[in-house]
Amino acid sequence: MNFLKRIPGPFLLLVLVIVARYLFPNKMTFIVEIMMFSIYIMGNDILYGYMGMVSFGQPFYLGVGAYTAALYLAYLGHDPLVAMLLAIVSGAVVALILGPIYIRLRGDYFALINAATCAIGLFLVEKPLLKITRGDDGLWYRTRMQPEWFFDLRQPAQFFWFAVIILAIVLFLYRWLDRSALGAAFRGIKVNEGKMKFLGYNTFALRWIGYGFACILAALSGSLYAINFGFVNPSITEPGRAAEALVATLLGGAGTVYGAFFGTVAFLGIKDLVSTFFTRWEFAVGVLTMLVCFFLSKGVWGFLNELIEKKKRKASPV
Amino acid sequence: MLTVKDVSVSYQKLRVVFDVSLHVTPGEVVVVVGRNGAGKTTLFRTIGGFLKKDKGSIQFKGQEIGNLWAYEVALMGLKYIQQDKQVFSDLTVREHLELGSYATKDRNWEPVLDHFPKLRTLMDRKGGNLSGGEKQMLLIAMALLGKPSLVLMDEPTEGLAPHVVNEMKDSIKRIRTETTLMIIEQNLPLTAEVADRVYAMKEGKIVAEIVDKKEIKDLAFEKYL
Repeated sequence: MNFLKRIPGPFLLLVLVIVARYLFPNKMTFIVEIMMFSIYIMGNDILYGYMGMVSFGQPFYLGVGAYTAALYLAYLGHDPLVAMLLAIVSGAVVALILGPIYIRLRGDYFALINAATCAIGLFLVEKPLLKITRGDDGLWYRTRMQPEWFFDLRQPAQFFWFAVIILAIVLFLYRWLDRSALGAAFRGIKVNEGKMKFLGYNTFALRWIGYGFACILAALSGSLYAINFGFVNPSITEPGRAAEALVATLLGGAGTVYGAFFGTVAFLGIKDLVSTFFTRWEFAVGVLTMLVCFFLSKGVWGFLNELIEKKKRKASPV
Repeated sequence: MLTVKDVSVSYQKLRVVFDVSLHVTPGEVVVVVGRNGAGKTTLFRTIGGFLKKDKGSIQFKGQEIGNLWAYEVALMGLKYIQQDKQVFSDLTVREHLELGSYATKDRNWEPVLDHFPKLRTLMDRKGGNLSGGEKQMLLIAMALLGKPSLVLMDEPTEGLAPHVVNEMKDSIKRIRTETTLMIIEQNLPLTAEVADRVYAMKEGKIVAEIVDKKEIKDLAFEKYL
């Protein structure tokens, strides 16, 4: 098993995803959703897990990316890649505009301003922008999408590989962030912002950067949903879904590289499994979240990580 | 190096520092003494950029710093080590030093670790598992990265075991050869040993400045407290 230590974690995780896709071919849609959702959760994890900023409005940022991609594909162009890039830019623009205002707020105020933004966002796409978003009917544009030279993203099997590539890029960047001084600075802000100022850090700028990363990752994830489904409606930006991001982050293990991925697997896994037996799958997620809060405060990945560390210590008792 | 002139500070409407003036010249160790509630920490927090003054001026290396943010003051070379002795519990000692290096672009840890050799053995230990003395060493080590011109220390020996206080005293004597120090200290014998000049504070005001070395050694400032 020693050779496993030399392989980068993100690579192992991607292999796991690919193996799962071939072991359970009829679950490919589910596996693709895990990849898209985990990118969204990684964004939320930067905010909550690394910087300690709880947001009840992440679906808004998901919706910004999804609607940017959808509006482009429905009215302006045909290239899904351009749609995705525009969505990333839209996430950055939102962070640039709202960031300086929102990140001045702390704790519950930050959480609530995001919840309010999410509610306003839902209202905008349902009412004032009805003519272009088509309200609850949603936007349909799959037939307008054109294949890329390397993938036809309308084909689920090919979209799978595209999602693997995007997840790989995000995972490696995420691991780099976790190990970098920037990641340590984010964690420093969570624990003691005053101490970061003492070291000479502009904590306002750092929180803005972290918020920006969260917006961009949510928008990227939203665009993947939009491209994969070929359809977007306001349910993607429902304020009621804000808890999903927090619960998945908590389940996986907040502030860890792979926590977002494992949290997504746990969250969507329960949703997928339990909903085949009960309509209200949220009950099972609620119970599991309670168990995590009481007994696994570091989440699924945090727990696994501790086991690995213990094993390592036993193997080399210095 | 540092000139504080007629500085007053309030917490909302409650004024706690009244028209304080003091100065620090390069190479000295200036100690501020006073009872609890005298306004010492408030004064240091204001100089460090963590609180805004109501009036007066704070000049550091000839530049007004009274309106700068704390991080800007730190990057100018004035570091304020708070009293709380809190470090980042989830970060290792190495990560703490990396954070200090990243902000100041000073990647040479050797001079700092020479002051606190014990930190070399604690590199992979998390901040939350350090003792009070080790935390204080780490905080000073982080502050020294980037070679600051002036370090403000708020009660560096408070709550430490006597043998750690002795180690800290030796460290202060070593550090003073490289940087100027301004210290709040309640430990009067220690003050007498390290101080070049002493300011006594009472009820938000500077009530005495003791420059005579013999008076400092004889704890003459005690009568102002």
